[in-house]
Amino acid sequence: MTAVTLSEARPARLRVDGRLGQFALLVPALALVTIFFALPAIYMLRMSFNAHEGGQSYSEAWTFANYLRLLTEPIYLFSLGKTFLLALVTAAVTVVFAYIFALYLWLQRGWHKLVFLAIALCPLLISEISIIFGWWMFFPNNGVLSITLLQLGLIEDKISLMYTVFAAIVGLTYISLPFGIFILLSIFDGIDRRVLEAASDLGAPPLKTFAEVLFPLTRSGIVVAFSQAFVWTIGTYATPIALGPDSLWTIGLEIYQQMNTWRDWPFASALAMVLILLVLGSMALTRRLTGRDVTHHV
Amino acid sequence: MSPALELVHLSKRFGGVVAVDDVSFSVAQGEFLTLLGPSGSGKTTTQRLIGGFEQPDSGEIRIKGQRVDRLPPYRRDTATVFQSGALFPHKTVAENIAFGLRMRGVPAGEIGPRLKRALEVVRLGGFEDRYPAQLSGGQKQRVALARALVVEPAIVLFDEPLSALDLSLRLQLRGEIKGLHEELGFTAIYVTHDQSEAMAMSDRVAVMNAGRIEQIDRPENIFNRPANEFVYVFIGESCCLPLTVNGALRAPDGRPIDLSLARPLPEGAHRLYVRPKQLRIGSEAEVCENRILGRITFFEYLGDVYRYHVDVGGVGLFVDHAGMAPFGPGDQVLLGWSSRDMTVFQ
Repeated sequence: MTAVTLSEARPARLRVDGRLGQFALLVPALALVTIFFALPAIYMLRMSFNAHEGGQSYSEAWTFANYLRLLTEPIYLFSLGKTFLLALVTAAVTVVFAYIFALYLWLQRGWHKLVFLAIALCPLLISEISIIFGWWMFFPNNGVLSITLLQLGLIEDKISLMYTVFAAIVGLTYISLPFGIFILLSIFDGIDRRVLEAASDLGAPPLKTFAEVLFPLTRSGIVVAFSQAFVWTIGTYATPIALGPDSLWTIGLEIYQQMNTWRDWPFASALAMVLILLVLGSMALTRRLTGRDVTHHV
Repeated sequence: MSPALELVHLSKRFGGVVAVDDVSFSVAQGEFLTLLGPSGSGKTTTQRLIGGFEQPDSGEIRIKGQRVDRLPPYRRDTATVFQSGALFPHKTVAENIAFGLRMRGVPAGEIGPRLKRALEVVRLGGFEDRYPAQLSGGQKQRVALARALVVEPAIVLFDEPLSALDLSLRLQLRGEIKGLHEELGFTAIYVTHDQSEAMAMSDRVAVMNAGRIEQIDRPENIFNRPANEFVYVFIGESCCLPLTVNGALRAPDGRPIDLSLARPLPEGAHRLYVRPKQLRIGSEAEVCENRILGRITFFEYLGDVYRYHVDVGGVGLFVDHAGMAPFGPGDQVLLGWSSRDMTVFQ
């Protein structure tokens, strides 16, 4: 009898039954995604098949001309390739520095850790434009870097690293670094530090411990950190244009130009679609690469 | 032959805190030595110094006569069974156990048979291809045990390997480790804060407190002949009756008390200790050499005994009595004990 009383005494709850009920719970999120992401993307896909004639931004049509132009005029493929390469290098550099930083943070205890976390957070608190202004103080002839190197006697004449690919990569890495650090730190924090001691205890020198234990355990984090830096860099244009050379004409800048200078919306849309496909492709690759070892992180 | 392990005047500080304070002892080949102490007593740090995870500030560590205190862990012939197991989560049971053999350059042909034997020893045959996440807590600790034993180190270090397990599993694995020690004859340094574990498993127990070794001896002597008050209080349960000698011997409330002592106590404050099982109550107390009156506050049933809590001049004592005694809370009762069962510290 007690059991019956107990079940009757259970407070009434709003119950969600069946497929329809479960779907109803998804509606708000689904609506948000549809309105703000799916619809514009579909609109853009449609736009990429429109024509561009005369002074108008676009005219209704169904044509592959934009994609054909993209594939036949080498300047656009070149720009795509260069952007891809820039993103690849930036992502690789980001991952290396983020890994070292996150590893250091993970091994730290107490207030050290908080101070370094705060430092890692800094780039997130400043807008990209302000950061670019900062680099403008840093890289030119009379910038901080040049003067410092001169006074240290490491160079004989003032140098400018402004408008170089190096400066662009530094600027991009600086912005994507905190994300990489936090992604990797979250992976490190899930690892029992004693496994490193166990490896060393069983006879593995530091490099072996890294290769056999630490690297496999953090591989998923490396892949995610890499792809986030890659995806972000491939779409950005402010930093490369502000710090890089004129020849560093990224696809993001090209889209901006087509959209605002030439008012060729269909072609800008086609470029954007190709960029989205590139990003989707790299994310699919990420999933394939991480999918394998996720099972062990139970 | 030199001992398996020697610590010579070993000290280690963390900032201003002395974790290990001038510790010296040596361990014979095949001996099972337990470092026992409360948390913060330096037992874990002592063991981490032996394993090479911490560097000593001064002193020497020798394994089979060779100084190792400046060597990194991977060049010391020790293997640790960690409290958490610290298994490699991305490696299978077989890969975990074979890891140490591979790192120590054991020929590939030898690894297979040794791995198989290690799995048999810890009764985990058939679990080769499981991942640690697919094992129970006890199975994980068995893998950790196999991983350490398979490399046949000069010293096996146990860092509270059973403290994360529930009681029945703890007792079972405790027996298994002891059995393996008898069978394989490895040298073990075992760290624990659980005295029953220390008593049951060890050839010798080193009781540590505040970075020092208070007593290092066979378990029987640690229990029956404690070197000092700390060891007496830390090992087993005890009742403490503070006494003062001020012209005459007095109980906590100032009443004169008559004890049957071999030698009279000097002036000052003293503490008299008796184990609760050796205290007598009621009519049984009347025949004892030492007696004192108290009042029962409450009693508990502990399964094998009834425990009577008695207030003696504001001090709480407790008596373990087999079976229920004819008293209730508020009753005045006589407590008694034999002189050979009491210990007095000044």
